Amino acid sequence: MSKKEEKSQPAEELVKVNKWDGSAVKHALDDAVKTCLLGDRPQLKEQFGLVNTRLALCALAVGVAIMAHAWDFTHPFPESRPVLLFSVLAYFALMGVLTLHSSFREKGTFAVAVQKDKERERLWEASSDMRKYDDKYLLTLSVRDSRNGSKRREQTSSKSCAAFIDQNGIVLDSQVANEVNRLYNSLAAEKKDK
Amino acid sequence: MGVASMLQIDEMLGDFNRMNKRQSLYQVLSFAMIVSSALMIWKGLMVVTGSESPIVVVLSGSMEPAFHRGDLLFLTNYKEEPVRVGEIVVFKVEGRDIPIVHRVIKLHEKEDGTVKFLTKGDNNNVDDRGLYAPNQLWLTKKDIVGRARGFLPYVGIITIFMNEYPKVKWAILSILAIFVLLHRE
Repeated sequence: MSKKEEKSQPAEELVKVNKWDGSAVKHALDDAVKTCLLGDRPQLKEQFGLVNTRLALCALAVGVAIMAHAWDFTHPFPESRPVLLFSVLAYFALMGVLTLHSSFREKGTFAVAVQKDKERERLWEASSDMRKYDDKYLLTLSVRDSRNGSKRREQTSSKSCAAFIDQNGIVLDSQVANEVNRLYNSLAAEKKDK
Repeated sequence: MGVASMLQIDEMLGDFNRMNKRQSLYQVLSFAMIVSSALMIWKGLMVVTGSESPIVVVLSGSMEPAFHRGDLLFLTNYKEEPVRVGEIVVFKVEGRDIPIVHRVIKLHEKEDGTVKFLTKGDNNNVDDRGLYAPNQLWLTKKDIVGRARGFLPYVGIITIFMNEYPKVKWAILSILAIFVLLHRE
């Protein structure tokens, strides 16, 4: 009745979300934007630096916790006190760094891509924001020339998520693509003037 | 209602199936971090209180009317604060894992600082020598897990319940784990 529907062509699948779940809607829209941005533009190569940093921090924190537990298991409590103290402090310090990283460095960015031309190298970033019970999906596409070190230019689109999702919760890729193309072309066009 | 919940699970599974490798790794790490955070908070409490088990649940009624079965106790085990007669301590008998919460009724202290205690539950008729290990007449410092410093009534009933019905415990934990693993932040 409400399973994922598949088109007659086996290549594409329609994405269905629970339209009342704000975070699921945001994630689905982020995924759609990323697919539209990178799908038809082979010159953009996705970069995973930010995500990898976040994963590495998480893995490190979990590693510290495992090590602390193993040490405490093999050296029963009173002897393991210094190691435990160090591990606890290290763990919460890492959590602090992780929070700082996701709040200030990542800040809603879900796609980073590099466009390498003959003369220049451009860094594209897509980020989004959607407040908790709000329907406005704020999509920001930014570009920066990483060789010249020129300023970062960005274009924002603020539309209700209802513009991209139909009544049944199906993500309308065509609408998403229109918006993404509009932002991309306006940023790419401005560039050519320079 | 049942159909609605099926719908949501469907979409969650859809979300999950569409995750790429990095996203899946992040889900697993998020789950691991929740478990690690709980573990680190527990270890942190151990370091701060000096006790190997800073929070215990009262398992029997041997300390009524002071403590009842299911009460949560907060313990500390500082070397600078020696245990005195009349204080409530939690101890473990060698060879048995169950912590026992009783009151110290007798204490012998040598000049070099070594102590030995005798304990008894307020609600019991006899002292605890029957509970100690064979040939053990006194408790020593290393048997003590900590002194009771504060308590919360009734909160520990959940722990007692989950230990009496371990299948319920595993069922609840599994459902929570699956939910965390499948649901994107």
